[in-house]
Formats: sequence, structure tokens, C-alpha cells
Amino acid sequence: MQDFHFTRPDDLAAAGQAHQASDDGAYMAGGQTLIPVLKQGLAMPEDVIDLNGIADLSGIEADGHGITIGATTRHASVAASEAVCQAIPALADLAGRIGDPQVRNRGTIGGSLANNDPSADYPAAVLALNATVVTDRREIAAEAFFDGLFTTNLNEGEIITRVRFAAPDRAAYEKFPNPASRYALVGVFVAQTADGVRVAVTGAGQDGVFRAAEMETALADSFSAGALDGIAVPADDLMTDMHAAADYRAHLITVMAKRAVARAAATA
Amino acid sequence: MSKVNIGERVRRTEDLRFLTGRGRYIDDINLDDQARAVVVRSPYAHATINAIDTADAAAMDGVLLIVTRDDWQREGFGPIPTKSGIQKMKDGSPLRQSDRHCLAMDRARYVGEPVALVVAETPAQAQAAAELVDVDYDELPAVIDPVAALQPSAPQLWDDIPGNLCLDFELGDREGTEKALAEAAHVVTLDIENNRVTAVPIEPRGCIAAYDAATDRYVLYNASQNVHANRDAFATQVLNLDKDQLDHIAPDVGGGFGAKNSTYPEPPLCLYAAKRLGRPVKWINSRSESFQSDTHGRGQTSRVTLALDADGRFLALRTDTVGAIGAYAWTVGPFTPTGGAARTQGGPYRFPAMYYTSRAVFTNTMCMDPYRGAGRPEATFQTERIIEYAARKLNMDPIELRRKNLMPPEMLPHKTPMGLDVDSGDFPLLFEETMKMAEAAGLTELRAAAEAKGRKFGFAIAPYLECTGGGPKEHASVTFNPDGSVGLAVGTSSTGMGHETSLSQILAAELGIDLDRVRFVQSNTQATPLGGGHGGSRGMEVGGSAVLQAAREIVDLAKPLAAHLLQSETEDLSFEDGRFAAGGGSVSMADVIDASMDADRLPDGMEPGCLDHSSVFERGVISVPNGVHAAAAEVDPETGVVDLAGYWVMDDFGTIINPMLADGQVMGGVAQGIGQAFLENIVYDPDTGQLMTGSLMDYGLPRADDIPNMEIGYYEGQPTAKNPLGVKGAGEAGCVGACPAVVNAVLDALTDFGVTHIDMPLTPQKVWRAIKDGGAHDPEGLMRAVS
Repeated sequence: MQDFHFTRPDDLAAAGQAHQASDDGAYMAGGQTLIPVLKQGLAMPEDVIDLNGIADLSGIEADGHGITIGATTRHASVAASEAVCQAIPALADLAGRIGDPQVRNRGTIGGSLANNDPSADYPAAVLALNATVVTDRREIAAEAFFDGLFTTNLNEGEIITRVRFAAPDRAAYEKFPNPASRYALVGVFVAQTADGVRVAVTGAGQDGVFRAAEMETALADSFSAGALDGIAVPADDLMTDMHAAADYRAHLITVMAKRAVARAAATA
Repeated sequence: MSKVNIGERVRRTEDLRFLTGRGRYIDDINLDDQARAVVVRSPYAHATINAIDTADAAAMDGVLLIVTRDDWQREGFGPIPTKSGIQKMKDGSPLRQSDRHCLAMDRARYVGEPVALVVAETPAQAQAAAELVDVDYDELPAVIDPVAALQPSAPQLWDDIPGNLCLDFELGDREGTEKALAEAAHVVTLDIENNRVTAVPIEPRGCIAAYDAATDRYVLYNASQNVHANRDAFATQVLNLDKDQLDHIAPDVGGGFGAKNSTYPEPPLCLYAAKRLGRPVKWINSRSESFQSDTHGRGQTSRVTLALDADGRFLALRTDTVGAIGAYAWTVGPFTPTGGAARTQGGPYRFPAMYYTSRAVFTNTMCMDPYRGAGRPEATFQTERIIEYAARKLNMDPIELRRKNLMPPEMLPHKTPMGLDVDSGDFPLLFEETMKMAEAAGLTELRAAAEAKGRKFGFAIAPYLECTGGGPKEHASVTFNPDGSVGLAVGTSSTGMGHETSLSQILAAELGIDLDRVRFVQSNTQATPLGGGHGGSRGMEVGGSAVLQAAREIVDLAKPLAAHLLQSETEDLSFEDGRFAAGGGSVSMADVIDASMDADRLPDGMEPGCLDHSSVFERGVISVPNGVHAAAAEVDPETGVVDLAGYWVMDDFGTIINPMLADGQVMGGVAQGIGQAFLENIVYDPDTGQLMTGSLMDYGLPRADDIPNMEIGYYEGQPTAKNPLGVKGAGEAGCVGACPAVVNAVLDALTDFGVTHIDMPLTPQKVWRAIKDGGAHDPEGLMRAVS
């Protein structure tokens, strides 16, 4: 690991200033991706700006319509939150299945979204639930937020402050883990909301998380696993690696989507 | 703690230390003024090394020394020859030795091969400088697959070794086997790959080397499982030292599984650097480097042919194996696919004829050395897979087919066609006991439960025959101290399996003293003059026998003293349960030990300390552990995911010293077998030789939730007479039986889909694809080019 300068600002303004003042600054939330890549020498920032000192970035709030989760809220907190379990149980379930206990006790929702790992779980929930990503500068709709592998529409120095989720009528997340890493080889989040059915797929797309439009249409007609019979995402745009070829991922997307629908239908 | 017995479930005395973070592993040791080393490794699988420019690296902050091939050549340091137990080719000519130096000389031959050692004040400085060592490479074509390496057009690793062939080998009755195959009612052939894996011990390798100029002596602290043999190799083969100039000490070691048995290049590099600098030099391997530079195991491709008569009786078994040994013939690398995999071919079945032939082949990969089982898991897998495959092809019940071919007890003792001396056991009994355990667990209910979830259910049983190995001699010395403690030093090496408990238990039980008096020392060339370390399931067999022998000799030494204390004659004494008795009186061993340190209580001619004693035990013939594994598997046909629904084991390890520790050995071995069967796989890019599974993100290790509960039973009815304890060895059997049990259970579950074979690891994708393809499979696809 290369030496870096470490700061832990107390508020957003100071964090932004620290970033602006650095030639090569990196924000750190849970550090579950940043620290490993620092150790491997894959990132060598001059400054690491720790966001954990900013008090109002963490926490979960419920209102009549949904849930707002602060950016530095740990996965374990989301998984254990009564408010989340009540309003969006599928989201608590997803958070409780990210990584391992160590990761869940450190990793944060804001860090996960800003990193936009194509195998991360949270992007599927954010996209399927049509959440709003709130930053220190603006509000970004989920649809506009994700922009390819490890890429988002966040501007230089922009900080996610919280994520706002409207409660769906019913939802479920099904993950097929990579046998080695246990990241999502395929993860499908299905949500039936006031605005319609949304199906978001993580772990599989060459450009990261995406929506399965044909599945959404079929489920809008009939919210049942059987509605997805014969529907498959084309393999052309899916990843192939040593653990799963594109055709296997395409197959798993349909299987996981059906299971998610069945679970959502059963729990509603 | 009070008295203990052999066979008692004694809790591990070392666990308090380990579980409270007070183990002392290699990275816990820091010597005053130590410098830190980092290895510069080849990024190419095969490349000529033109020049090594160290100027920029040497100019970096904190850099103390950069060791290159120039130093090695100038010093005249030697290569490390392989000590393979098979040293001759089929035609009697010697095995082809490959010059293995601690640094690549003219060519690098695998990704991760050491090219230079950078020593600096801190690890970060050494790492930064290592990145600036400028090596001018010319990349050469590489060959990764051993079958491909045998092709005439393959890239050649060694100018003086034609065809990349290190060693060829044969054993058994070729003519008889061919004749049986020609005349048999049924002949079934299957090509099988035994996937390349690596041990992944939780503690990476590392060492600290120190040199004392005043005495011209070295000390090496090293995460090794074999300090004596490696001390000899480092001192005499590489560094041109006398053995006694080097003290080699392994502290607590966090897992070895064979991979810490090998003679690695990094410790001699550090010893040399320590002398050059006059400072201790510490080196700790990273996890990523471990995947490149720890020895690998298995990696064999075989064609197996089974001949049966019309009733399903086995007539002959023929196996032709091509084993990758990597770029160099490592410590004992060429032995595994040759002599190592030959001995237990055919398992506990009656075979009139057997023939085994194999080739150990150089490839541009990290090298092979023993990995838990070292050839016996491969042999058992080949035998059990061809039996299962034959049953399917011939429409026979695989359980019945095995049952009717097991060697009956009256056949023992028996020398198998592979020359294995099977002295004792009851194979049919263990088979039936295992079936009973599985049936009692409710195979019918398990099947119904699986099918209710939309899953397919499968069951398989896999008898195995094992054999021990490793160094035949072991030393045990016992010292009685005035503070009441009893020192026990043994030349074996525990890397976590609990010798501190089990070997002490043998001594305490035999002498009838309290276990907590025993202070155990191991893995230290100062503490024992010889030692065979850890390997070949030899810990209890050879180490335990040495302790038992030493204890019995101490009892004899103590008799004159006990007789003196009891005012009787030595020949009138009996010794039982820790007490000497004669006439109406008795005295405890503990009292005799106290008296042995008190000149006033000793008879004439005995001196204080007279009971201190060392003994060397030498094994005559290797032992043959055996047993039966059985597994139940559920397969989700939609995804290819396998869940193990049950696991049953009956083992004949002879005498069990401590059933709790034996359970640990079985469970750990089974976990490693399950890992190999479903997850673990070392993958190199077939064209470039780059390691694709270079981290735990891609190399799948089993987690706790991948491992089913196991029901384990022991048969102790026939201890072996090959050693005084009657033990047969427990350390490797778990992973010998596990792969065939779980793979065959999965294939049983896939019967409805016509799937008859899948090569390991049975990942969900491979299982799904086999189902999708309706079992389409070329049974002779792997070896066609070389058979």
C-alpha cells in the first residue's frame, strides 16, 4: 500500500473542500472496496477522505411512503432495521445477504452505489424500486444514476448523502452467488409498485445493472412466475467469465426472476 | 487434569493458546534490527531472461540489498534435485532432473518464479523497489496442459530433456491385464481429469533468517512442516554449509497439507541475504503470491479401463496417467503421478490383474508436490469412478457391484497386484456398517424431501484403501525436570492437527503420569537430532510409535529404581496403571520420577536424571488404513446447484489415540475433498500461462455451509501389527474417500438426464450444462492424443 494523507471531516462542506483541494482524493465510506484496492496498489490516491465523521450521513428514517437511508448506513443496520423490514422487507433481506458479517458491519449503501460494482447487490434494489439518490448537490433518479461498469453519473467530488425508497406493493430479491467469491453471479430484484412492475438484474450485464423490459411487461399482465415462462434476456449483452458463460447467466436470470416473483407473491 | 488413556477423547491442550490469539506464528516473530524481503517474480510463464537491471531499485529509499542470479552463480550455490521416490525411467535410465535454483537463471518457466530478492528496511520499501527491478525478458511459447506438453510440436521447457518428459513409470502385470481385457465379457473405458488444486493454508508461507558471524551459524524460523529435511537441503544442497551450521525451527504453523513440506527457494535467499547484511531478514508471502508460488497438487489426466465378467466380477484394471509436475521436478513432485498414485489402485477390491502406467510431464506452471493424499486420492477416484461408470453403462446396481467384488476378510493378508501389503481389515463389514448408518439416517425420507423441493436425489458409497508414507524414522526424547515437568520432543510436525495433545497423551498414558506435566516440543532441529516432519499420515504411526517405544524403555530404565524404593528385586516388579508393584508394596511412576532426581534416594550406579531417554522408531512396512465413505446429494436441475444431504464414514485407522482428534482429521479431509469436487480449481490461461485463479475471488474454497454434518464411526477390531501402537494413519483418508463419494452421488442424482460423467470441479454451471446437453460426453476425449 502506498502512503496517503488521511482526513476525517465533520461535515459535507469540509469533505467537499478536502476533495477539491486534493489532486487525487478518494472518499471512503465503509472502505470495503477501497481498502483492498489500496492494498493491492490498484488505487494510489494522495488523500483518503473518510466520510464516517459526518454525523447526519448515517441513519434510517421512515415516513408513510417509504424509507430514507443515510449514505454511510451499514448493510447490517439496514438488514436489522425494523422500519426497513416493515416497509420494504426485500431490501432488508438483500442487505442481510451482502458479503459476509465483516463486510456487512463496515460496508455502506452509499459506498456500494458510488462504486457501482457490476456484481453488487444494492444497484438491483435501487433500480427496481426506482429509488432516488440524493447527493450534496441534487437528486438523481435511479434510472439516470448507473452508467456502466464502476461508473455513475456522480460528478467529480459529489457525495451521496442518502437514498430514498418508496415502498412497493411487493418485492423480492433472489441471488445466485458466484461459487468462489459469493458476489452475485446473477441477482434479480423484482418489485411491483404503484408505477408498475420493475425487474432489475445485477451481476450479469456487461454494462452493469439493467432492467429486463420483456419480463416487466409479462409481469404487468400477470404477476406470477409462470408469466415468465419462455422469456429470457438475450445472452449477447451478458458477461462471460470462468465461472459462468453468458448463456448460463441468461438462464439463471429467468430462474432467479421466477423465484423472486414467487417469493414476492407469497410474502405480499 | 489427571490420568489419561489411549483412546480417550482428551481435549486439545494447544487450543487455549490458539483460540485466545496467543499462538505464535511466523509473522508474530520479530527479531531486533530485522530487514524485510520481497520476491520479484516472473510475470511470464516462459521467457528468456536477458538482463536484470537493479540500479533504479537499489537507489530507492531504504533498500539494503538486491539478490540476483549473479550472486547465486558467483557463490556457486547449487540446484535442488528432486528426491522423488521413483528415480528411474521404465528403461532403467535415470529420471530427468531439471536444474532448480532458488532464482531463475537463463529462463523463467512459470508465472511467479523468483527472479530476484529485494531487501529493505520496511515491507513497503521493499515492495516499491521490487517494482523497479528491470528484467529484460523475451517471452517464449508456453505449454500448460500435460497432455498437450507431450505432443511433438509442444513448446519445450528444457533443452536437454526431450518431449517434456521427466519420468515414465509402470507397475503391475501388463500382459495379464491385456489378456484379461481381451477376453472379458465387458470392458469399460473412461478418461478422467483430477483437477489441479492448491492447499491454501490459512497462514501463508514465511520465514525469518538470522546469521551470527561470531559462530558462523544460522537460525531459520520458517512456516515449515518438515524442518529436518529442509535444513539438510538448504544447508548442503544450496548454501554449501554443514548441516549443523543451520538451526531450523518452525513455530506454530497454520496449516500445511503438504504444501509446507516442500523445499522452497525463499528461505535460502533470506539466509544468504541475512549473512550479506549481518541482519535478520524476514519474508512473508502474500495470499496472491501464495496461489502462484505454493506447490499445487493433483492435476492428473487418466484413462481408466475396467474388465468384468458376465456376472460383474472384476477381472482387470488398467490405468494410464499423464501427470503435470510443473516447470521443475520439485521436492518429490514426480513421485505423485507415478509411484504415489499406483499403490492403492484398485482399492479394497479383488483384482486378478492390474497394470498402471504413467508419465510425469513438465509444464509452464507452478510445480506439483504432495497435497493431502498425494496420489492415493487420485487412485481411489479413478477406481471408484470407473466402477460407478461401468455400473451405469452395464445396467448394474453400483452398490451390489461393489459388494460382490470386495476382498473378503479371509483373503487377508494379501499383497495387491500393485505390491501393497494389506495386512488387516474387514472391508465387507465396514461396507455394511456404512450402509446401515446411511439407511438409519433415512435415505428414503431424504429422497422424498429432495423431490418435494423439485430436486433430484442421489446416493453413492465409496470404499477406499489408503497407505501411509513419509520418512520412516522418528525420534522421541523425554526429559524429566526438577520442576515436575516432563519434556517431550518429537521430530514430527503438527500444523494444527493436535500432536501436542495426542503425542503427550501417549506418553502420559503409558507412564501413568498427569498429562499437564508434559511440555511438548516439535519442529526444531535443536530439540531432536532427526525428524520426519509431517506427511503421509505418519504422525501417530511413526511419531506415536517412537513416543510409545521411548515410554516403554523408560519404564524398563525405572525398574531398578522402583525395586530399590520397594526393597525388592527388579525381576519381581510389575508395572500397571502407572504403578510399580512387588510383593505387597507399590510405588507410582510419579514417585519414581521424583526419586530419579534425588541423589539420596537413588541406588548405587544410578545418577540423577537417569530416566531421561531418547528413542528412534523405524517403520518397516507402510500401514494400510481403509474405510468407506457414503454421501447423499440433492441437485437443483434448474441451476445445477448441489447440496449434500448426508455424509457417512466408517474408518479403520487401527488403534485410535484420541477419537476427537481423529474426527477432526476426517472432517477436515472430507472438507478438502468436497472443496476439490465442487469448487477448487487452479486455472491457467492455456495460451499465455497466466494464472486465472490468483485470488480467493476466483479460487473457490469451501465454507462451513458447504460441508454437511458427518456421521463417523471407527472400526478398531484389527489393529495393524506393523507398529507397536497398532495405528494405521488417519490424516489423509478423509480427502481420499470424499471426492468419489460426492461426485458419484451427484451423478446418481443425474441418472434421469442421462448424465454419466462430469469432470471435477462439479460447479453449478458444469452440472447445468451436462443436464442441458443430455449427458453428451466423449469418454475417451481427454487422452486420445497420447494413448
